[in-house]
Amino acid sequence: MSSIKFCPFDGYRFLGEEDKCVTCGFDRFLAVNKNWDSLTNSPTKKAQWRKLLWIKQDYPDNYVDSSFLEELQKNVNVRAYDYWTVLKESCVISQHISSIVIFIAVFIYLYLDMLSAQNLIISGTVFTIIGYIFWDKSISKTDPSYEYKRWKTAKGAVLFFATLLCISPILKTLTKDTSSDTIWAVTVILFLANMLFHDYGSENRTNIKFPGSLSTNAAIFASVLLASRLPSNSHVFGLMSFAIEWFALFPIFRRYTKSLSAKFNIALTCLLFLLATLLFLNISKAIVTLFILGIVFITFVCPFWLIWIQKYKNEIHGPWDEARPKITTYY
Amino acid sequence: MGGVESHLYQLSQRLIQREHKVIIITHSYGNRTGVRYLTNGLKVYYVPHMILYSEASMPTFYGFFPIFRNIVKREKIDIVHGHQAFSALCHEAILHSRTMGMKACFTDHSLFGFADASSIFMNKMLKFTLSDLDHVICVSHTSKENTVLRAALNPQMVSVIPNAVVASQFKPDPGAQDPNFITIVVASRLVYRKGLDLLVAAIPRICQMHPKVKFIIGGDGPKRIDLEQMREKYLLHDRIELLGAVMHHEVRNVLTKGHIFLNTSLTEAFCIGIVEAACCGLLVVSTKVGGVPEVLPKHMIIFAKPEEDDLVNAVARAIEMIRLKEVIPIKFHDEIKEMYSWVNVAERTEKVYDTIWQMRIPPLMERLRRYYGCGVWAGKIFCILVAIDYLVWKFLEWIFPEQDIEIASAFPYQKYKKMCQMADKEVVNE
Repeated sequence: MSSIKFCPFDGYRFLGEEDKCVTCGFDRFLAVNKNWDSLTNSPTKKAQWRKLLWIKQDYPDNYVDSSFLEELQKNVNVRAYDYWTVLKESCVISQHISSIVIFIAVFIYLYLDMLSAQNLIISGTVFTIIGYIFWDKSISKTDPSYEYKRWKTAKGAVLFFATLLCISPILKTLTKDTSSDTIWAVTVILFLANMLFHDYGSENRTNIKFPGSLSTNAAIFASVLLASRLPSNSHVFGLMSFAIEWFALFPIFRRYTKSLSAKFNIALTCLLFLLATLLFLNISKAIVTLFILGIVFITFVCPFWLIWIQKYKNEIHGPWDEARPKITTYY
Repeated sequence: MGGVESHLYQLSQRLIQREHKVIIITHSYGNRTGVRYLTNGLKVYYVPHMILYSEASMPTFYGFFPIFRNIVKREKIDIVHGHQAFSALCHEAILHSRTMGMKACFTDHSLFGFADASSIFMNKMLKFTLSDLDHVICVSHTSKENTVLRAALNPQMVSVIPNAVVASQFKPDPGAQDPNFITIVVASRLVYRKGLDLLVAAIPRICQMHPKVKFIIGGDGPKRIDLEQMREKYLLHDRIELLGAVMHHEVRNVLTKGHIFLNTSLTEAFCIGIVEAACCGLLVVSTKVGGVPEVLPKHMIIFAKPEEDDLVNAVARAIEMIRLKEVIPIKFHDEIKEMYSWVNVAERTEKVYDTIWQMRIPPLMERLRRYYGCGVWAGKIFCILVAIDYLVWKFLEWIFPEQDIEIASAFPYQKYKKMCQMADKEVVNE
């Protein structure tokens, strides 16, 4: 506050934080700069420091007021996590890892001729149709205008799989000359990319955006690479159609079950986990052990870790943050 | 010319007038290279430097050291004053000057959050430079709080010295205003950080509510397309004038056409734009962000939250004030002239120089100890960088001994001033 309590010209008493004398327009704060407070003959008490730049204050430039960092806010956006909730949420990750492991197991069965291509194609088609019926039921509940799209979807599916069948011979020979070691190594990298960029969080079921699209592409690319190791065209078609069903359509179904009920979701997770374990049991015991340990780590240890690490959270907010504009009408 | 460049120029001019010797070291701009003299013998060295992106220089660590040492020695420099946290050149110059046992201070012109990856990196860089420094200057109290937090400094080490305006260059011109309209001026780069989304949303509503209002928008940038699309969609071609990029010396002519200045920035350390506008006698409407609330007295500025609805309301209040003729431009101008002057800034900066001149130069061991405290990993990396810098310095001392560096003759400022005065007198006599 300024030390001037009265206007020096007409004796008007300033009320509160008033800037100007009502009668003559004398500016109380500019007066301080001009040292007019001697005019008022009041004892010069040091004015309190104000967080302003336009007034000249009787304090050094490096003065630190008691109000320094008053507007600092810490950890305003932090929410407390509950162990069981985080554990349930971690299911999506276990599901995805299990699904990748299942896919690899299916490829190995095909490669070692323990599974015929016909069986894979038939079971894939049956499960896809069952899945589609589920999807159809759910979407026609929410979106009545969906009816007419059914025919379009069926046409699209037939066309797509026919094209895939036609290009199977090309896919088979596409990377044939690349050595198997390269194929295995690149496939591992691509599946890791698929795992990292997979869209775990969103509930989005209709359009896939980046980086979810990158994840799907990586998986399909990995399948193309793997397909070149298979003996016949029908094997290639079987693996590719399975890859599309498994990496493009199945995640949509998983998101749907997640939104449906938590119990369903947990059941699906267990089912995928058991399937992956069983399929790999014949192939390699070591990988099964690693897989089980990994899933246990992700499901039980990681949520605990996340909650524990929260205490190191130090988020700082203040007036220097970039404001988020709030816009109500878009042009 | 942006805020930082004009700050450097104006501050240097005032310091020269106060009998200091000032040189500026910057990187070359296109074919503007070598050494140049500006007004009053202000010497500018344009150092060859690789440009990374939009005039930002590439960090070289030690590549800049030989030429920097040479310049500093030949000009007999005592204090190195770095500007702007984004500048790699500034960080390097401060590091090298400390290695050579010189005094250094730093002015921070911008605000930074703590959230994203780029700001984490920038904050580490800043911490590196500011760990071993005599004094820091910030342009507003909010900026001081921000810098103290970012670089974990002792707040006593940080001074607040605002920017200023050359009031004589921003005189109101009542004749320039359109008497039939209330004109709202916007002058900023058209980028996201300047709140262009808010502006694009608010303008059609303001135009609809107030038929006697028009806009003049100066500046260029990626968001210009949004503005143009908005103008197309609402058929506001006669109400919105888009000027494109405005040269610094033409800013005043744009400002004086308006009654109200609108600033929609989302973050701002000081915002010289609103001071220039108020100096031209415009009523300012601004978002209340960063250091903006500290800059102008409340009869010159109307604050809005960074929200579309609040902004529209604030502009409506400003229009009402203009209608009732509550704003007297020449009074604003006189008040601003009292508040912000470069002479004052130079005086206060001089005080900072005086204090750091008294300070003891820390030995290498002490400097290493300070850098070591910067972080578990960063501390060690910083120590390595500083130790190498010290070795490079010793190597340079050996290969180009100091006595071999030719001393530049000082610009005879006194003589120059006398000659100028004489020339002025002759003109008057004629």
